[in-house]
Amino acid sequence: MNAPRPDATHTYDRRSGRTRAQVALEGATKQAVETGHARLLAVAAVFVLCFLVLGGRLVHLTVLRDGPGAGAIAQAVSAADSYRADIVDRNGLLLATNVRTASLYAEPRIMMNQDEAVAKLATVFPEIDKKDLLVRLHSDKSFTWVRRHLTPKQQAAVNALGIPGIGFLDETRRIYPQGRAAAHVLGYVGIDNEGLAGVEKAFDAQLRGPDAARSKRPLQLSIDIRVQHILRDELARAVTNFRAIGGAGIIYDVHSGEVIAMASMPDFDSNAPGEATAEQLFNRVTLGVYEMGSTFKAFTIASALHYGTSGLDDTFDATEPIRVGRYQIRDDHAKSRWLTVPEIFMYSSNIGAAKIAMEVGTERQRLFLQRLGLLSRPDIELPEVGAPMVPTPWREINTMTIAFGHGIAVSPLQTAAGFAPLINGGVRVPSTLIKRPQGEVVLGERVVSPQTADTMRRLMRLVVEEGTGKQAAVKGFLVGGKTGTAEKATAGGYARKALLSSFVAAFPMTDPRYLVIAILDEPKGTKATYNFATGGWTAAPVTGRVIARAGPLLGVMPVDEESGDVHKAMLISTRKGRSGAAF
Amino acid sequence: MSIALGERQQDMTLLQKLRNVNWLLVLLICVTASYGFAMLYSAAGGSVDPWVTRQSARFGMGLVMMLFVAMVDLRFWMRIAYPFYGLALCLLIAVDVIGTIGGGAQRWLSLGFVSLQPSELMKVALILTLARYYHGLTPEDVGRLRYLFQPFLLMLMPVGLVVIQPDLGTAILLLMGGLTVMMLAGVRWWVFGTLMAAALAAMPVFWANLRDYQKDRVFTFLNPERDPLGTGYHIMQSKIALGSGGVWGKGFMQGTQSHLNFLPEKQTDFIFTTLAEEMGMVGGLLLIALYIGILILGFAIALRARHTFGRLLAGGLITVFFVYLFINIAMVMGLLPVVGVPLPLISYGGSAMVTILLGFGFILSVYVHRDLQIPKRPGGDPF
Repeated sequence: MNAPRPDATHTYDRRSGRTRAQVALEGATKQAVETGHARLLAVAAVFVLCFLVLGGRLVHLTVLRDGPGAGAIAQAVSAADSYRADIVDRNGLLLATNVRTASLYAEPRIMMNQDEAVAKLATVFPEIDKKDLLVRLHSDKSFTWVRRHLTPKQQAAVNALGIPGIGFLDETRRIYPQGRAAAHVLGYVGIDNEGLAGVEKAFDAQLRGPDAARSKRPLQLSIDIRVQHILRDELARAVTNFRAIGGAGIIYDVHSGEVIAMASMPDFDSNAPGEATAEQLFNRVTLGVYEMGSTFKAFTIASALHYGTSGLDDTFDATEPIRVGRYQIRDDHAKSRWLTVPEIFMYSSNIGAAKIAMEVGTERQRLFLQRLGLLSRPDIELPEVGAPMVPTPWREINTMTIAFGHGIAVSPLQTAAGFAPLINGGVRVPSTLIKRPQGEVVLGERVVSPQTADTMRRLMRLVVEEGTGKQAAVKGFLVGGKTGTAEKATAGGYARKALLSSFVAAFPMTDPRYLVIAILDEPKGTKATYNFATGGWTAAPVTGRVIARAGPLLGVMPVDEESGDVHKAMLISTRKGRSGAAF
Repeated sequence: MSIALGERQQDMTLLQKLRNVNWLLVLLICVTASYGFAMLYSAAGGSVDPWVTRQSARFGMGLVMMLFVAMVDLRFWMRIAYPFYGLALCLLIAVDVIGTIGGGAQRWLSLGFVSLQPSELMKVALILTLARYYHGLTPEDVGRLRYLFQPFLLMLMPVGLVVIQPDLGTAILLLMGGLTVMMLAGVRWWVFGTLMAAALAAMPVFWANLRDYQKDRVFTFLNPERDPLGTGYHIMQSKIALGSGGVWGKGFMQGTQSHLNFLPEKQTDFIFTTLAEEMGMVGGLLLIALYIGILILGFAIALRARHTFGRLLAGGLITVFFVYLFINIAMVMGLLPVVGVPLPLISYGGSAMVTILLGFGFILSVYVHRDLQIPKRPGGDPF
């Protein structure tokens, strides 16, 4: 480029003593450079060849694609989706079924008169895109769809037209008559009827297996679609009302482990999964894991009763917040005095719960939660199941925060399954989405004694009668429960304004059969709730309304809550030294 | 004249270096990546979330890193080639020992704040190391048998570690990249002939050691219609999508196969299908043309370099880039079995993007320092 500079020449001169070596090196370098260039060109030639292959294949696939290609694929797929069993709810109501439809195709190569064909077809399908169809019929393809999933009337009309070069292929189409109602339970299928999510995916092989085709027996779920509608309806209303970003709800039979209803908001229509966003497809009940907050105090107190570290008339000092390192444990409904165990539960004292848990001890707390199934991925017949988030290592500070449901994240389904033994007499049963046969004896594992379970029932009733859960009360159904208001974890701490508000309810508390959980994700207070967005104000009323509507359908008889028997069964003292009277 | 230029290149100012960057190559890289953003936007159903925002942020950071690498003196990169390789090798061993499990394979090393895939680093480190090794040899030595031992060891150690992870795609990329550098360096043709024969002979053993899922993929590749709803599903759907694209495609954001979620991995390894369905043959060929443009520039840079190190480095790296895109596109079109290799600059994913841009950083550095004089041995041997 530029002329050599004087100092460069000078450098050259200085090296003249080694001229010969330099020349030899030059020669070798030259040879290396030549080999290098030849080799580079050889590689480039290989690349060119590869690109020719790629380009050729692309053109072939996108444009030329001839012969049996597309037609064969359509046939193969058509043959593959022969049978898929129905899905019904626990009462035999249809949740998913198939409709056999005919789809109209054309074979452009053997067509005689394309223009006439299009004109005729347009009389049956006035909305068809004539231009597009004409282009496709004039193409050199051997197969093209004209219209998929015709009604029988349309099929008859097309037959009557008598156009040569067209034909029908039988197809089946999965239909969900209930639409959105149980979308997250059922899941959805792809265009070739293969299960892609939910029960459809979990039981995919069984639903289209040879046995299903032979017996024509539908898959019967434990879901009661009437109750499912109620749960979804009330949850959706609460999500709108409190402007929450989402919600989750579950109704659970504590004796059989059957899931009676399960709803997650926002939801989607199983008939049109393609239009749903990832947020809508997400099942918060089984896949989402959350720090549940104060509902965990039920586990804390149950563990204390189980191991005998605290009794009902023990008292704990809740006058001052607890300081551990840089953490501080405070009470939201601070009473600033000594509290008995029932008071700790009904006023939801974090300080009290932490102190109770410390007496139980870290190792026993973990063992207890593990036996309730809260530390491992739950078993349920869905592909969308999330694993809980458990602290490792489990230190003393974790023991204290887990006592009131922070520092551990579990799914709502796990919460339900964990609560069941606390109120059903003490036995842990496996959860299921499949209806258990009438009279089947469910073998469970005993987790707590009947006495502990009995006390827990009374405590949960107390919360609704006199504590934070009054808004869940439904006259005659003896509702009990526990509120939960967790601050959501964000990067570097907890957000005081972003709450996960929940209520775990059970009824009737004299002999609990059903557990109802409602969870609202980031609800905002309204005028009617005096701007409170806590579990007691937002989630508890949802469970109350669900129980009021679904209780009669589930065969639970209302009772006179003021009768002597009920009083006796629910009696519990919140004051020190008199709790013995309850038994 | 050459000496004068060489002398001058020994101490360029930053401004001179910036002026020397091959901006056409940078432009082509940006255009290709933007094409990718558009496809990710479409794959997400017309939303910049969740993919475009993150991908473009990564690309931006990668671009800065690329230019930084290009500015640094090539002799520095040459000096740290062996330590860099050593570090990458140690990290590879570390993932095999303590790596966290991700997607069924141990590939990721969690550093607490960021997840690192050492096999990605190794792709660049191996080329760098082999380029340095051959730079120090005379043409006669390159042909000698005893100088084959070290490069093969350098290459086979990481390949072995990657294979046991198991990550077949990366192993192929490492092998192809390494062998290309050796070929460019002038290793005799008979060596490659022998290797080929040995590979063919080893086929049965190799086959016996494949995992079941890998065998399934090969069977499926040979006959996708064998199991259209099972293992053949990816490829069948992919082909249907490609076939439905036609010449001009269905239009941006109009792809039915990808938007109705029939296409698996539509934002990562199978993104070429989304592209070909929506943009048709023309859109697919346009992307291939962009790639060809980048490759031509890469080759021109390799040819133009006055030193063996630069020629081998640029040649090796541009080959890795080519192998990436070839394997991916050929796989999507059913010409190769399904192997987990992303489409370079287009597929969603940070690790591959960083590798690719790091590679282009070195290629640009070769171009900036094309007339540099580099002595044969600025540092010692690898062993």
